[in-house]
Amino acid sequence: MLRGLWPLTVANIKSFYRDRAALFWTFAFPILFVILFGYLFSGGPTRFEVGWADQERTTASAGLRDAFAAVPLLELDDVEEAAALEEMRDGELDAVIVVPAGLQEALRPGAPPASPFALTVYTDPSQQTSSSTVQQVVAQVVGAVNQGLSGRPPSLSIDSRPLQTQGLTNAAYFVPSILAMALMQLGVFAAIPLAAQREKLILKRLGATPLSRGTLVASNVLMRLIIAIFQTLIIVGIGMVLFGVTIVGNPLVVAGFVVLGSMAFLAIGYVIAAYARTEDTANSLASVVQFPLMFLSGIFFPIDFMPEWLQPVAAFLPLTYLGDALRQTMVGGAAYVPLEVDFLVLSGWLVASFLISARFFRWQ
Amino acid sequence: MDDAKPVIVVSDLHKSYGHVKAVDGVSFEVRHGEVFGLLGPNGAGKTTTIETLEGLNKPDSGEVSVLGLDPARDATSLKERIGVQLQTAALYPNLTVIELIEVFGSFYARSRSTAELVRDFGLEERQGGQSRELSGGQRQRLSVALAMVNDPELIFLDEPTTGLDPQARRSLWDHIRDLRGEGRTILLTTHYMDEAEELCDRVAIMDHGRILEIGTVNDLVTRHFRERTVRFAHRDELPEERLARVRGVRRVARENDEVVLYTPDVPATIGELLRLSDEMGIDGLDIAVRRPTLEDVFLELTGRALRD
Repeated sequence: MLRGLWPLTVANIKSFYRDRAALFWTFAFPILFVILFGYLFSGGPTRFEVGWADQERTTASAGLRDAFAAVPLLELDDVEEAAALEEMRDGELDAVIVVPAGLQEALRPGAPPASPFALTVYTDPSQQTSSSTVQQVVAQVVGAVNQGLSGRPPSLSIDSRPLQTQGLTNAAYFVPSILAMALMQLGVFAAIPLAAQREKLILKRLGATPLSRGTLVASNVLMRLIIAIFQTLIIVGIGMVLFGVTIVGNPLVVAGFVVLGSMAFLAIGYVIAAYARTEDTANSLASVVQFPLMFLSGIFFPIDFMPEWLQPVAAFLPLTYLGDALRQTMVGGAAYVPLEVDFLVLSGWLVASFLISARFFRWQ
Repeated sequence: MDDAKPVIVVSDLHKSYGHVKAVDGVSFEVRHGEVFGLLGPNGAGKTTTIETLEGLNKPDSGEVSVLGLDPARDATSLKERIGVQLQTAALYPNLTVIELIEVFGSFYARSRSTAELVRDFGLEERQGGQSRELSGGQRQRLSVALAMVNDPELIFLDEPTTGLDPQARRSLWDHIRDLRGEGRTILLTTHYMDEAEELCDRVAIMDHGRILEIGTVNDLVTRHFRERTVRFAHRDELPEERLARVRGVRRVARENDEVVLYTPDVPATIGELLRLSDEMGIDGLDIAVRRPTLEDVFLELTGRALRD
């Protein structure tokens, strides 16, 4: 039944590897984007904008504010906590420090040695630079305050909380996004060799051997999945090494979405191959399909930034959901929709495209 | 395999594409160990017929048996035992000769050694080269080599030498004769009458989806033409009225500068012609004798030339 599956898959991979155009779109193009975007946006600010939510408003809290304001790396911005968190999510603040009421009481000489008074600090763990800088600064200031009150148990502590920002200047945003784009291209462009193999009668010639069509399709899918894994490793690797992106999610869930996304776009590629009679038509159709996907699916900037009339288009496009799922699972990105919805939408595209291509694909 | 039983039996095969009757009631048998040729112009229905036998097409009606199997029903077990070469070489352009032979070999329950096939088809020099870099002749040889990976008892070759230069054609003919010498049965299609004459034990002449005649090349020619032609450059000393009285001559014709004598008795005609020219002191009468060819048979049957 599966005779020939692995040899044919290896032959397909070799064939792919020797096709310069395919190599360019699959590897060079996304890598170029990662590096370009990385250097354009990851220089990062030399000062970090920190929201200062003072819920106490006493001389003690004012003193603490002065201590933070004296740190040249930080620029304090006085705001309410709720508003501050909102701004941080939108990428306008790098971190938020909340001073709850009760600071003055806790620092009063002779106050009962209760548990230390905690400052709440929100940082975005996926933004390594700002997150670690702010946490270090806060730790130093708190340490200094505690030292100034030496002879007593530490009065101040830090309650550190993660908060996902949607900063544009963020490698964590575009590394999963560009991975999604690369997987999309890998699948959509599968239409071209498939149409070429039909046009050159290779599919017909294979049909004259005992190789089953199921094995033929399985081999094509397997080959694309193997390439998808390489793409993922390379793109994520560059993101980690060059731009300090860390993968915060479960690697198995990430891998699951990589596989699901690749297969959904591969099925879309097969639909294109079903409609295109020639290699040239498949080539043009694949381009026509990939460009709106690339620019209207929140790959280069969040969908919220798109004109409102275009946003329903994004909601329709499958790449929106793969990008969203990968950002959520890889770097804990802000959700466009819950992961379950991403899963369902991608599965829907996979099943529908597969059925359409199975119905309309002509082998010769 | 019972040698006496036909390897292929086709009876009253019909296949239409839309309103076009590609194959319109074709019947023939192919015997064990012979090279059988389907000869006809492009669009005669040769490819449709051969692809039905290969299990690539389903017939509209008619009975087909190949190696005792029905290609439409037992396609997979049939495909294990036949070798197929399509009209176009159909090779993955970026794979090498060796890689192609190996991957095709992997589809079969049993396959021949790659090195042996590379050697048999004279591809040693290009074995590491990608198929897109091969010459037309090398591609065709590779394509036939791929048809041989499963050591088939029956081989289908669809227009094997179309587009090849004369030297490459002759080389491929040698390979096909070798396959016949190994006891394999071969069904080939061609629109070259010289190819059919060179290779085929028996020929079926096809046109417009029908078979017009079946037989050995000799049968077909003698069935339609009992006469041979004797030709030479026209001389004023030998007027046509005189030539018409030469022994054996049935008819005299002029083709440009050439005189053509139709005769069933070539030695008698030439003997008298030589004596006549001797008497008249004519030097260097350049006489050629030509047997009518399949081309003439086709012309006779259809009223048009084969290669138009």
